[in-house]
Amino acid sequence: MTTPAQANGAATPGNPGGAASPAPAPGGAPVAAPTKDSAGVRGLIFLRDRGIFVLWLLLIIVFAVWANPYFGTLNNAILIANAAAISAIFAAGVAVGIICGALDLSIPGVAALSSCVTGWMVIHDMPVWLALVVGLVIGVVIGFINGVISLRGFNPIIVTIAMLSVTSALAAIVAGGYTIPGLSKLDFMGTQRYLGVPAPVWIAAGVFIVGTVFLTKTRDGIRLMAVGGSAEAVRRSGIHSDRYKVMAFMISSGCAALGGLVTTATVTEANPNASPALIFTALTAVALAGVSLVGGRGSLPRVAVGALVLATIANGLTIKGIQPYWATGATGLLLLGSLALDRSLTRTVSQRLMATAQASVHTGTR
Amino acid sequence: MTATTTTAALELSGIDMHYGYVRALDSIDFRVGQGEVVGLLGDNGAGKSTLLKIMSGAHRPTGGTVKVHGDEVELHSPSAATEAGIQMVYQDLALVEALDIATNLNIGREILRPGLFGLLGFVDHKAQRKRSEAELDKLGVRTAAMTRPVEMLSGGQRQVVALARSATRVTGEQNGILLLDEPTAALGYEQTQVVQALVRRMADQGIAIVLVTHNLQLAGAVCDRMVVLNRGKKVADVRTEDTDNDHIVGWITGARPSMFD
Repeated sequence: MTTPAQANGAATPGNPGGAASPAPAPGGAPVAAPTKDSAGVRGLIFLRDRGIFVLWLLLIIVFAVWANPYFGTLNNAILIANAAAISAIFAAGVAVGIICGALDLSIPGVAALSSCVTGWMVIHDMPVWLALVVGLVIGVVIGFINGVISLRGFNPIIVTIAMLSVTSALAAIVAGGYTIPGLSKLDFMGTQRYLGVPAPVWIAAGVFIVGTVFLTKTRDGIRLMAVGGSAEAVRRSGIHSDRYKVMAFMISSGCAALGGLVTTATVTEANPNASPALIFTALTAVALAGVSLVGGRGSLPRVAVGALVLATIANGLTIKGIQPYWATGATGLLLLGSLALDRSLTRTVSQRLMATAQASVHTGTR
Repeated sequence: MTATTTTAALELSGIDMHYGYVRALDSIDFRVGQGEVVGLLGDNGAGKSTLLKIMSGAHRPTGGTVKVHGDEVELHSPSAATEAGIQMVYQDLALVEALDIATNLNIGREILRPGLFGLLGFVDHKAQRKRSEAELDKLGVRTAAMTRPVEMLSGGQRQVVALARSATRVTGEQNGILLLDEPTAALGYEQTQVVQALVRRMADQGIAIVLVTHNLQLAGAVCDRMVVLNRGKKVADVRTEDTDNDHIVGWITGARPSMFD
């Protein structure tokens, strides 16, 4: 239970002012040992951090048995992945925003605007690649504007709600109030399959791999997470935290634009109506993944699984012929359940750690 | 303890601070040498925080000069103070809870991976952990695994991490100055002992330390010298071994006449 790890923090008590304490001397004995927590605590932490993977696995098993033989097939798996792909792209944007402490509600509007501009350009026989690039750039630029306005001390929620209205109005203006149909030129990133897997799944996978690597392995990504956790800490380290806030908004809006474009490609028409449901699905996936709305924590792979969980539930219930509104209700209950579980696990972990820390402080004195 | 006779690491002379008609500080002289721990004591409103804010660059004094290692500097902002080698450890620590110890210690001075990955901004986590371990070893503290998130640390361990973060930032070519604001205010007895030992060890490495505290016992245990402020004036500046608690309390409350009148 008690390991040398916690004892070391308190290794030189009873030595007031005395500097030459030999106990935890440099290169002392407990260098390799001091790092292990007890197995129980590690198990709980694993459950807390990876619980959503366990949950997804359970769901798959349950549906595989219940909806046998239609659920557990490769084709159905691809169907689920495809259904999850687009909401996962939006969820990635929302997650990066929240992790850096910037909830971006303009996502549906940005998606609509990007797809309408791209659709308009494709209809007017401009090169497809240029249309796509312009669509993405619009997203990133709107993110930049969101970020810069928010930094002026305005509440990001209000700013992005305003931007939601502005962008959806612009989308309607571009599209002339109606959807832009006949965008089959975008099929290559819509219904087209590569190696048997639909394009949206590849795109979503790309987004999540790049995003995960960015957040965990690169300097900017780590700083972005740190800004979400404590902007003050980052500022005191001599870093411009504002820059990273703006970056988070840009990534968030960029993902929104990409999600909008993939949606457009899938349905081969650009819809100027911003659907707010989109942001709530994304938020549900993000919350299921245990991304704290306070910011500073969260992992993209878990968000991907969050989106997959939603798609799995909807798919499984559909196969069983259950009305879709049951899926919505089930998702809500699941979300509440996961919140409760997360809370109780976190509390247990911290209690356990506290207990061992206390114990070792006292045993360490002797 | 040592090196007090050479050039002071940080020297303030004739510092005045006026807020309108209020004299928050009145011609304060203050110095701290390399490897010296100086306690800055005084009642609430005596001017400790104001003086500390001037040293950390948060406030600019109305008058007076600041010298770092003998060179006059203009501390017009906290980052200017950081550049001059002055680090402030605030009461609220400002650690990133969800990130691990190593990342917290390295943020702002990350080690990038060599080669192409480094150009892309990839961080060398392993090298960072190694460096942080070495730095903590040098300070003689081992808190917990380098990969443990700060949110899973006890109050004392967090304080140690925050102190170590600042300490590693001031030990460059020239030893820096650490300003500590009530480092043990939130800690229990044994954790206070740990922090106390750490402060001593940092001083032994040549860091100059200014310690603002209400805790006389702590001040008596770690400080080489104590400076007492009373209503914006310096009323005492004594070596710890030449004084005792009663005298210090007398200066703090104003019951004892100033050494300088």
